[in-house]
Amino acid sequence: MPERAPERNAGGGEVLPEGAKHDPILVADGLRRSFSGIRAVDVDHLEIARGAVTAIIGPNGAGKTTLFNLLSGFERPDAGIWSLDGKRLNGLAAHRISRLGMVRTFQLTRVLARLTVLENMAVAAPGQSGERLERALLRRLWRDQEQKVKIRARTLLQRFGLDHMADQPADTLSGGQRKLLEMARALMTQPGLIMFDEPTAGVNPALTQSLLGHVRKLQAEGLTIVFIEHDMDVVMGISDWVVVMAQGRILAEGPPADIVAHAGVIEAYLGRAHGLEKGGAAESEASRD
Amino acid sequence: MEFDVILGNAGRAGLGPQAAIFALLVIGLNLHFGYTGLLNFGQVAFMMVAAYGTAITVATWGGSLWLGIPFGLGLCVVLALVLGLPTLRLRKEYFAITTLAAAEILRLLVRSSPATDITGGPFGLQAIAGSFYALNPIVEGRYGIGTFSYTANQLWVMIVGWVLVALAATLVFLLIRSPWGRVIRAIREDEDAAASLGKNVVGYKLQALAIGGVIGGLAGVVNALQQSGVGSESFGSQVTFMAYVVLIMGGVATTAGPIVAAVLFWFLREGVDSFLRQLSEEAWLPDLLADFLYDAGGAVSIALAGIALILLLKSRPGGLFGKRHEGAADA
Repeated sequence: MPERAPERNAGGGEVLPEGAKHDPILVADGLRRSFSGIRAVDVDHLEIARGAVTAIIGPNGAGKTTLFNLLSGFERPDAGIWSLDGKRLNGLAAHRISRLGMVRTFQLTRVLARLTVLENMAVAAPGQSGERLERALLRRLWRDQEQKVKIRARTLLQRFGLDHMADQPADTLSGGQRKLLEMARALMTQPGLIMFDEPTAGVNPALTQSLLGHVRKLQAEGLTIVFIEHDMDVVMGISDWVVVMAQGRILAEGPPADIVAHAGVIEAYLGRAHGLEKGGAAESEASRD
Repeated sequence: MEFDVILGNAGRAGLGPQAAIFALLVIGLNLHFGYTGLLNFGQVAFMMVAAYGTAITVATWGGSLWLGIPFGLGLCVVLALVLGLPTLRLRKEYFAITTLAAAEILRLLVRSSPATDITGGPFGLQAIAGSFYALNPIVEGRYGIGTFSYTANQLWVMIVGWVLVALAATLVFLLIRSPWGRVIRAIREDEDAAASLGKNVVGYKLQALAIGGVIGGLAGVVNALQQSGVGSESFGSQVTFMAYVVLIMGGVATTAGPIVAAVLFWFLREGVDSFLRQLSEEAWLPDLLADFLYDAGGAVSIALAGIALILLLKSRPGGLFGKRHEGAADA
């Protein structure tokens, strides 16, 4: 199996002009997407530092989820290029981008409801020969690999505290457990970069802490993490770098401490729009998922 | 009222070639709808394409039946690609409508007068299965008791039909048990999630569509052999909807469900039909009701089958064999 996890880069967040980073894993240029005349995403330049935890924040409708959809191949941009580890991603289908080592989760969890938790995990393993039609019929052609996949799946389930649910259908999981399963399942693909779309949305405080613990461990193992988040405590607590979006554009970026001090951010997000968000505008973004 | 005749008729239909044909059709549909989540409303088109491919090779082009059958099944793969490539990227409703329309358009094309030279148009094609019955090892005669009996040729089609059913069910079972089957079921649950995990969703759907289509095509081949011919009237959309009834009755995404339900469906349908026919001959029945039963017996038995299905699903939402989780139909 290919080893995709990149080497750990300790810095990951030193500020350079024009948002450039030392050793970026993901670079996007001129990324634009409009919905019936409204610019949902209009990003001139974005770099994601390898091995860092990058938070994307912004009010509802800022284009964060659309940006995720574009980067992960779930939506086509009107213009723009982007690359992962120097490999051009534009025009690639979502599953190809995932195979290159960039996996994303969804704002509303998407567990495979009528598959067992273990099956949810196993299906995500890359390069399974038994998934090829011409080999599927003969069990001996894939039995050994299947065993390895299941062992790895169980190990990950254990790590996320879901091993006791392994043989249960995934729709018996609670909301929080589903978030954990989605995170664990994303790891099964052996990614180099994971994009979490609101990992802590609708999750109780204790589980939020546990999720964040997992994210920190992933970073320690060398993964690059990008996540969309609304909870500023979470953003401050965990991220190395914060990108602020508003109306499709990148308003500001920098280390978390600088961002809180940034007046524009406070106006666009923490102050004025913050109350609006609690009013129930969440659907507008969920519908674009 | 002769109950032995009713039971005999019912039994003959339940084990007969029609039930085997339906079982094949439904096993293919189960791979589409039950396991992959494809809302295929044109399953009968695969049946028709294979039947006509076989019959045209023999009757129109004067070719061998043994060339005609693989040709007909090959056409099913072509149909799967033609139907699937443009529509499987879209939402599943579009696929459903396309398949429904395609099946009807194909049927109308086949029976249109300009096509008469090739397809026999409204008259269909006959006398195609001679070389199949020439292989019949069963001695001439009638086998069975009373109305529950078959001719040697019927028995021969039945044996071939049920062997094909067993093979198709085994094939689907083995596929679903494999990692390939796990991907298919993952796609049924959530396409975007499957794509985000690196699975080529359209590619897998096309494969499932083609395999289930070829299995549906086998139903068409057996149908052509049984009638030793083809006619467009056998391939209306109601066949697809009957197949859905059988599938849901037996249990979506189960191995035995389609087979047992096909047997049960034809047993009940023919049993009720036979019962109503006899009832209409009873002297004590008012003439009006008797005539109604005589004329509309088929419709009444289908209505009764519908009521039976509703009652069954109330007590067993997953169908006869449905597992609590995987079985529940979600369309």
